[in-house]
Amino acid sequence: MKKHLFLLILMVITVSILIGCGGSAKLDPSHPVTLSLWHNYGGQLKDTMDEMIDEFNETTGAEQGIMINVTSISGSATLHEKLTMAANGDPGAPDLPDITTAYPRTALLLAEKGLLVDLNDYFTSEEISAYIPEFIQEGCIDGESLYVFPTAKSTEVLFVNNTIFQRFARETGASLEDLHTFEGIARTAQLYYDWTDQQTSEIAGDGKMFFMPDSLFNYSLTGGKQLDMEFIKDGRINTAEPGFKKVWDSYFRMAVMGQAAIFDGYATDLAKTGDIVCSIGSTAGVSFFSPTVTYADNTSEPAELAILPYPVFEGGKKIAIQRGAGMSVIKSTPEKAYAAAVFLKWFTSPENNLRFVSSTGYLPVTKAAFGEIMSQEIAQTHDTNIKKLLQTCQQMQAEYEFFIPPLFEGIDQLQDQYESQLRDYARNSRESYLENVHTIDSESTYEAVAGTAYQDFVERWAKK
Amino acid sequence: MNTRWLSKDYLIERFASSAETGLPLGIRLFLLLMVLVITIMLGVVAILIITGIFTAGISESETLVENELNHTAAEISRHYGELSVQAIEFSKQLSQGIEKTSLQLGIPIDNLKEHPNRLEEIIAAQFDQAYLSLQKSKASGIFFILDATVNPKLKDAQYSRAGLYLKNMEPNVINASAPNILVFRGFPSIGRTNSLSLDSRWKMEFDVRQAPYYHRPMEAARLRQELPLSRLYYWTPALTLPGTSDEVMICSVPLIDSQGNVFGVCGMEVSGMFFKLSYMPYQTFFNRLFCVLAPQSGSTLNLAQSLVSGGYSVRSIVRDNSPLTITRNERSFYIYRQGNNCSFWGLHTPIRLYPEGSAFAGEKWIAAVMIPEEDLVATVTRLNVLLISLLSILVLLGIAASLYISQRFLKPISQGLAIIQSDDLSEAPLTKIPEIDNLISYLATRNQELYEDAREKNLSFSLLDEFVQNTAKLSPSERSVYDLYAKGHTAKEIADILCLSINTIKTHTKRIYTKLNINSREELLLYVNLLEEINKDKPTGSAPNHSSQP
Repeated sequence: MKKHLFLLILMVITVSILIGCGGSAKLDPSHPVTLSLWHNYGGQLKDTMDEMIDEFNETTGAEQGIMINVTSISGSATLHEKLTMAANGDPGAPDLPDITTAYPRTALLLAEKGLLVDLNDYFTSEEISAYIPEFIQEGCIDGESLYVFPTAKSTEVLFVNNTIFQRFARETGASLEDLHTFEGIARTAQLYYDWTDQQTSEIAGDGKMFFMPDSLFNYSLTGGKQLDMEFIKDGRINTAEPGFKKVWDSYFRMAVMGQAAIFDGYATDLAKTGDIVCSIGSTAGVSFFSPTVTYADNTSEPAELAILPYPVFEGGKKIAIQRGAGMSVIKSTPEKAYAAAVFLKWFTSPENNLRFVSSTGYLPVTKAAFGEIMSQEIAQTHDTNIKKLLQTCQQMQAEYEFFIPPLFEGIDQLQDQYESQLRDYARNSRESYLENVHTIDSESTYEAVAGTAYQDFVERWAKK
Repeated sequence: MNTRWLSKDYLIERFASSAETGLPLGIRLFLLLMVLVITIMLGVVAILIITGIFTAGISESETLVENELNHTAAEISRHYGELSVQAIEFSKQLSQGIEKTSLQLGIPIDNLKEHPNRLEEIIAAQFDQAYLSLQKSKASGIFFILDATVNPKLKDAQYSRAGLYLKNMEPNVINASAPNILVFRGFPSIGRTNSLSLDSRWKMEFDVRQAPYYHRPMEAARLRQELPLSRLYYWTPALTLPGTSDEVMICSVPLIDSQGNVFGVCGMEVSGMFFKLSYMPYQTFFNRLFCVLAPQSGSTLNLAQSLVSGGYSVRSIVRDNSPLTITRNERSFYIYRQGNNCSFWGLHTPIRLYPEGSAFAGEKWIAAVMIPEEDLVATVTRLNVLLISLLSILVLLGIAASLYISQRFLKPISQGLAIIQSDDLSEAPLTKIPEIDNLISYLATRNQELYEDAREKNLSFSLLDEFVQNTAKLSPSERSVYDLYAKGHTAKEIADILCLSINTIKTHTKRIYTKLNINSREELLLYVNLLEEINKDKPTGSAPNHSSQP
């Protein structure tokens, strides 16, 4: 017996020494695992992201042997393209990263190729329960596997250059209250166009644009929801219901009459130069609004931003979109998947999540961060735009319903087609309007060009 | 395995008594084997020391770093050389293009400042050239700045310059169907006309207050008009453009018209992210190995003016703006010290950014590959710990083997001794050691003989004892007859000697026989003879004392 015991002890000592020398299968702080990270947080968001990643690398990462290395920062569209190229192994495509920010549509593509880690395997049900259930649900693309971990969410709000607006309001009696509805925005846009037109009395019809929705697809989707209409039905654009006409008119009329922008880029571009006054866009876009407006002669003025809840159609329900990229982990080794989960837990812990949120305009993803901590953060933050944004988000959280945009294969292309065609129709109608507005009154001109365009547009989509 | 002898008390006891009894065979054998094991291990350690195995980690690391440096430095030289050439070419074409556009507009090139309202047109006309040059080059940005501003009446207008700055946000993606190019500086109309977004940090004009990429090549071009463009381009140290947090290195070339008027600069940019992605160290032995392109001043490097690439989050070091002091290590590597706390080991090599005769030829740049000192020490220590651990395991295995062998060797001997000490050697199992088995066999035979002999003796003595005890039962008359029988007389002679009848003698004889449990006179004489042999010196007839005999 003693003989066996001695041999056993000797064996245990030997094996322990060998294991100690050879390194363990788990993470080893002396041999940190490096995770490449792609994200789409540009501008101010990038600085915050850099700071947080540095902090992670120096604290939890150093303790546990994880190092995050950012190897790409690009816009969400470019990121989607790069990930698609990498997933398809296109020539010249970079290697896939270990972690990437991904919108559900990107994650869907990667998940179909079996490239994503199911993060349910790395989080306990207790840990998962700390997150807002709808956000987790959105990340479960196939209904079960958690492929997109919620890190920061967003909704859409109305951004207003309050400096210009108040100057305009003082002379016209317009009010920010008017901007709570789409009908109010249309009236105010007309008023603003007329007011700016009068600034140069020597030139007729040179009034300025007032409004721009960043995404015409989201605009139609949300408008439809507010008016109790399914804009996407059976994976197709549904233009057959009466609600669509109302949504169409709300934008098309302003666009054709020169009160809303017909622009391929982001509204913040036009806001930088004072070419529009208000826009609908993602909360995450707040940091892209320049604190100054620069005019054509290079003069500039500070631009105070007002942030209002998402506008609602009169008689419609208070509904807004819930969007935003989460983070997906690309399959590689169990160590990397585990390390990625450690990073995601750290990044979305209430205090870190809110730090990110409070400097970027995203919404927190944990119940704790959305609750009391958020109120404290609003009180403490020195960034007035973020403070306004979070207050507006809290108001919307209390008053609005949120919906997750539909997700199916081909929705990217559908969205691009819809937006570009709507802009093309608006652009063409605008040209026709400008050609004919001198001959008859503006209202009749609009009716003439818009009526045909609408019928044509609806028929075109009905055929698809 | 009996390990009692390994216990401290036992050993103390054994060694204390060893002076008298000597060490047990097992310990002697174990110690002998241990001497052999230790001698072998000392020999191995001596060989490792002599062959430099304990310091092999450093030389291997140096080889890795050297290979990485050679590769990276060659790549940087080629890349920066190409960009320099492309920037010069861009300058030539742009100068011609701007001069041509200006002349078409009737504006002398040296008089651009006086026509701010035409700048947008002039600059927009060069967009295609800039855009194509950016797409052709391996640069993350391209720009040109004219010595003029769109609004000379503005406050700080003397620091504001019109121009165009395009940034490629994905310079490392070769196959992007739509390059992600943004307008960083310039008229917004240029971006909108060409479907390019404005960068989130967009400004209309350049602020040239802290812009060496603007002032230095222009000054050089004005001061040294004899130099060609290839001797006038300038690479800035890494800097952060106003309103941004991105570090960039910029190659700028003066814009010179056909009359020799210097009217602006143009150039190309390498962003920190682009550098990082382009020069990420290949080898993965050191996680925190990083590559630096830095201006060298004497024996110092300024990390704050460097571009850095590597998996290591070097930002944390760069935060400390103090320079790195270079010192040569005694045997290998250079040591780069930043303050008292932070030091790196690595190697560096000069990078020639300028040709001979350049206005900036005095500016020295180096490419370096470094590792945090603690990582290198940890690696070497880890290798040595591994080596020492393996040696320790060998020693432990040697001890275990010595113990096992000595125990195994002694086992049959112990068994043999135990067998020898046992009662029955004849049925003892074989030890399979011939010497011991022969000894046991011999001892068994010997024991058997002794036993037989003793058994025989033991039988005789017990009969004699009984016989002697029975003689005490004889009456005096019978005793007289017995004594005469013992002296060899016959019954007739005894009758004569004792003057008794023969019948009386026969009666006595019969009783004697009965009492002594014998049957004949011959048997009686046999006992008597035996008694005489044992007690020769005793008088005849006295009872012998042999009860203690076996």
